[in-house]
Amino acid sequence: MARFSITRRTMLHGTGAVIGLPWMEAMAAPKGADKPPVRMAAMYMPNGVREDMWTPDGEKRDFRLSPTLTPLADLQDQLLVLTNLWNPGSVGGDGHYVKLSGWLTCTTVTKTLGVDVSCNGVSMDQLAVQKSGRQTPIASLELGISPVTTGVDKNVGYTRVYGSHIAWAGPASPLARELNPQLAFERLFRAGNGQAGGTKDEILLLDRVLEDAKQLRQKLGGGDRQRLEEYLSVVRSLEDRLKRAASPERSKWKPRAKIDAAAKPVANPKDYAEHVRLMFDIIALAFQSDSTRVATFLFGNEVSNQNFSFVEGVSGAHHSLSHHENKAESLRQYQLINKWHIEQYGYLLRKLRDMKEGESSVLDNSMILFGAGIRDGNKHDPHNLPVVVAGKAGGRLASGQHLSYEKDTPLANLYVSMLDAFGTPVERFADSTGRLPGVLA
Amino acid sequence: MRALLLFTVISLVLPAQPFAETQGFLKGYCVACHQGAKPSGGFNAAKLTTLQTMMEEPRKWSRMLARVRDNEMPPKGAPTPSMEKREAFTAYVEETMKTAACADGIAPRPALLRRLNRAEYSSTVRDLLNIHINAGRGLPADGAGGEGFDNAAETLFLSPMHAEKYLDAAREALAYGSKDPRSRARFLIADPNEKMTAAEAGRKVLEAFLPRAFRRPATVAELDQYYALFANAYKRSQSYEPSILHALQGVLISPQFLFRVEETNSGTGPRLLDDYALAVRLSYFLWGTMPDEPLFKLAAEGKLKDETIWTEQTVRMLKDARTREFAEQFVEQWLNTPELGRDIKPDAKLFPAYYDAEIQSGIRCEPILFFQELLTSNLSLLNLIDSSFTIMSNKLARHYGIKPAKPLRQQPVVVELPPDSHRGGVLGMAAVLAVSSYPNRTSPVLRGKWILEALLGTPPPPPPPNVPTLPEHAGDAPQTLRERLTQHRANPACAVCHNRIDPLGFGLENYDVLGLWRTEDAGKPIDAKGELPDGTRFDGPVEMKQILMQQKDLLVRNLTAKLLGYALGRGLTLEDHCSVDRIAETVKRENYSAHSLILEIARSVPFRYQTGTSVNIPVIPPAAKLNSRN
Repeated sequence: MARFSITRRTMLHGTGAVIGLPWMEAMAAPKGADKPPVRMAAMYMPNGVREDMWTPDGEKRDFRLSPTLTPLADLQDQLLVLTNLWNPGSVGGDGHYVKLSGWLTCTTVTKTLGVDVSCNGVSMDQLAVQKSGRQTPIASLELGISPVTTGVDKNVGYTRVYGSHIAWAGPASPLARELNPQLAFERLFRAGNGQAGGTKDEILLLDRVLEDAKQLRQKLGGGDRQRLEEYLSVVRSLEDRLKRAASPERSKWKPRAKIDAAAKPVANPKDYAEHVRLMFDIIALAFQSDSTRVATFLFGNEVSNQNFSFVEGVSGAHHSLSHHENKAESLRQYQLINKWHIEQYGYLLRKLRDMKEGESSVLDNSMILFGAGIRDGNKHDPHNLPVVVAGKAGGRLASGQHLSYEKDTPLANLYVSMLDAFGTPVERFADSTGRLPGVLA
Repeated sequence: MRALLLFTVISLVLPAQPFAETQGFLKGYCVACHQGAKPSGGFNAAKLTTLQTMMEEPRKWSRMLARVRDNEMPPKGAPTPSMEKREAFTAYVEETMKTAACADGIAPRPALLRRLNRAEYSSTVRDLLNIHINAGRGLPADGAGGEGFDNAAETLFLSPMHAEKYLDAAREALAYGSKDPRSRARFLIADPNEKMTAAEAGRKVLEAFLPRAFRRPATVAELDQYYALFANAYKRSQSYEPSILHALQGVLISPQFLFRVEETNSGTGPRLLDDYALAVRLSYFLWGTMPDEPLFKLAAEGKLKDETIWTEQTVRMLKDARTREFAEQFVEQWLNTPELGRDIKPDAKLFPAYYDAEIQSGIRCEPILFFQELLTSNLSLLNLIDSSFTIMSNKLARHYGIKPAKPLRQQPVVVELPPDSHRGGVLGMAAVLAVSSYPNRTSPVLRGKWILEALLGTPPPPPPPNVPTLPEHAGDAPQTLRERLTQHRANPACAVCHNRIDPLGFGLENYDVLGLWRTEDAGKPIDAKGELPDGTRFDGPVEMKQILMQQKDLLVRNLTAKLLGYALGRGLTLEDHCSVDRIAETVKRENYSAHSLILEIARSVPFRYQTGTSVNIPVIPPAAKLNSRN
């Protein structure tokens, strides 16, 4: 029977067997010859933090976790908690959209309802991807929970696209996020499985598309050509990936795990909390199997009014509670919501810690950034942002510290240091003024 | 009739303020920082102090306008104008720029290249292959731009993920279709047999498929290229069906399929679109999918440029059940109801009814089916404000406490409301009432804002920099919400907007989060009284809707702008607003009939024409005209 009749789905359902990564098997790298690669993820929490419960007591290695950060107590030696970083590019504009979309770009996004969307830069994670070259089947994973929020916000004059995208491959290229854990899993599985799906046939099709587009381009005006180029570039990147997947010349790193088809998650998680964890499982799996080394995740779109009454002691919606007006009851619930986010972050960190890579763990070889685009949700203020980096980046990060900087130290300086640790150094990033002292080991 | 201050809407106010006052505003609040060799933010307002600059530098003026209107400028700490001054400034600038833009008549925009959005992709694949699965289900959701719709060309971005998804979706859809005899009859129209070689069959399939997929005749070269895909695959495999499916998969990931392509007009002036482009525009507007056979036929005959035929086709399509897709895409995004169940999820413990499948789907479908009913039966658009009917299933009617004359079933149908009902119009619909609430309680502020923004198109600005946000939460304060809001309106900086917002929201307080009628909340009687800034008073939704009915032209203009933005798939320009004004006038003359609105949009210049690319669109009228007005 023709291979076209075997859909990906039937194949996945088929045996439930562990299926290997073909090019990896072909490699058979000498034992212990290679160092595990550094992975990087950035997790974004909307609506800021309760200030007085965030910052740890004490500095450097001698510090005590704050109430909101206590769920990470067993991971303290893996943490860098950073105080007094700010993102000057996101000071103006509105209270949310500018903050989220500029979080990893450290730029001021263009105020618009859509026609000239631009982050005026590139996000730190995508810069890492671009500079490291494609060593993994998937260049980067963009994940989230909620689809991009409906409509444009005429109240403040921004398209809500800005409230839903932290990863920007270029000024006008916000990266779409996968929200469905099952589809995310299938994508990993498929990307890691070069033999399935008739890769050669697909390359032929993509060649045809590129040819078609060339002919079409001649008919178009300037602005339209740019749109077409966007499509061409995504087609080329897929073709490139398929070609590399079909040949064994790949990364030297031989991952310690393969993707088990039987581990496929459900498509429709029963609630928000389960959804978050399933997405974290995907990140962990992607890092462990070396399907990608870069991931970004949004707990929610900015201005999210996610109902958090499933958390003990909370009875309201996220954004409205973040406007606490210093009322005790709202503050109490706001902090519980912050803490819940940290607990989930801890779940991911522990999962990565428990994934062994020889002498070390995936967490030891990762840096997992957690933060928000504003500090106090009541003030929409991008000064002294909440920032934690967990994991040691293969020993390159001086983890286990609370580092407090001079007031208004650019967040971009942290990104410069993280790019160093990732092995993709840059002299400057956006509005950086240097490296962040004390971060690198 | 008293003029309502509430509705002093920027876009309808004629420039009453002479330019001198605008000049004074700039000098008083802007120029101090925005001048000289290094103006703040690189923006030199000192150079924008003549009326002429408004015509010569429309982009700079627009930028300034937005900053002032949205309370971003002047910044914190700088001298701040009163709300009245702000509004006078923005009204004058907006109106002057629009008048200038309209002075030369309405010019269309250039042709567009636009990716099919997720919904359009799914519907198009469905109709192309006659399959009944949602082929685009795995595609990422599209963000919205322009007038707030996810079909806006400007925000239809592409990510690397799209290429994979398109490849997968095409493979799955074709595999599914190839197993269903009805689908095969649509696209696998030939199989090799004694009388036909595989090569002949493959060519026949592609000859029929390509023009439908590309929504225009295919060239011989294009046919040959896709035939080559088939022939090469067949050569390798000697197996017909996988080979033809392979070629068809190639068609489905071609930019000619995934994008709506309109040939560029390289001439100097505007021209009517070609027949195929017209068919495609109309079809995606009214059905959200590719043209059907009759439209393709008329396009092939070159008849769609004929106004009578164009009108006939528009009406034919409006009466067709396929307007469901249009109603769903347009109404949900207009009313913001897709967020119900996403960001806004009614609390399961407090509002268990929402988690009943039939009620939930009934709530979701009510505004969609209501709007579709206005379209297919050509009813008055004013039904949106108040109506004598709605569309309900049995359980939704029970949820609302309505006892229909005839027993209902699970399928929603048109139901006449009792004569004394308060429920008619979108403001009585649970979807609207819930999406403008918090998960656990109602919010007069959110609901009032929803009315101003979604219904009337007059969104209030965000709070100015020095004003704290209005405290409104389920805290432990002993006061009622109304008392707290009243107290905060005592602050004039808050009052200027909240005097407009809050009363409208209070008018709906008899409806709980899920739209149930209530006369008390937590043991206290509901107070649904409101007083508008001009002193007009009302009590409850029925009286409030009477007041809104006096503002019907505002609603119709807003609806027209939204619908034109949706139809064009882009944000509106100043010139487009000239079209909006004209269309809204006609709709008013036609007694607000739903068909008149759709027909006027379908006939409008921006919808049917494209401009030439070799000249810029004239937006600057002769200076003499402007000077004479001032």
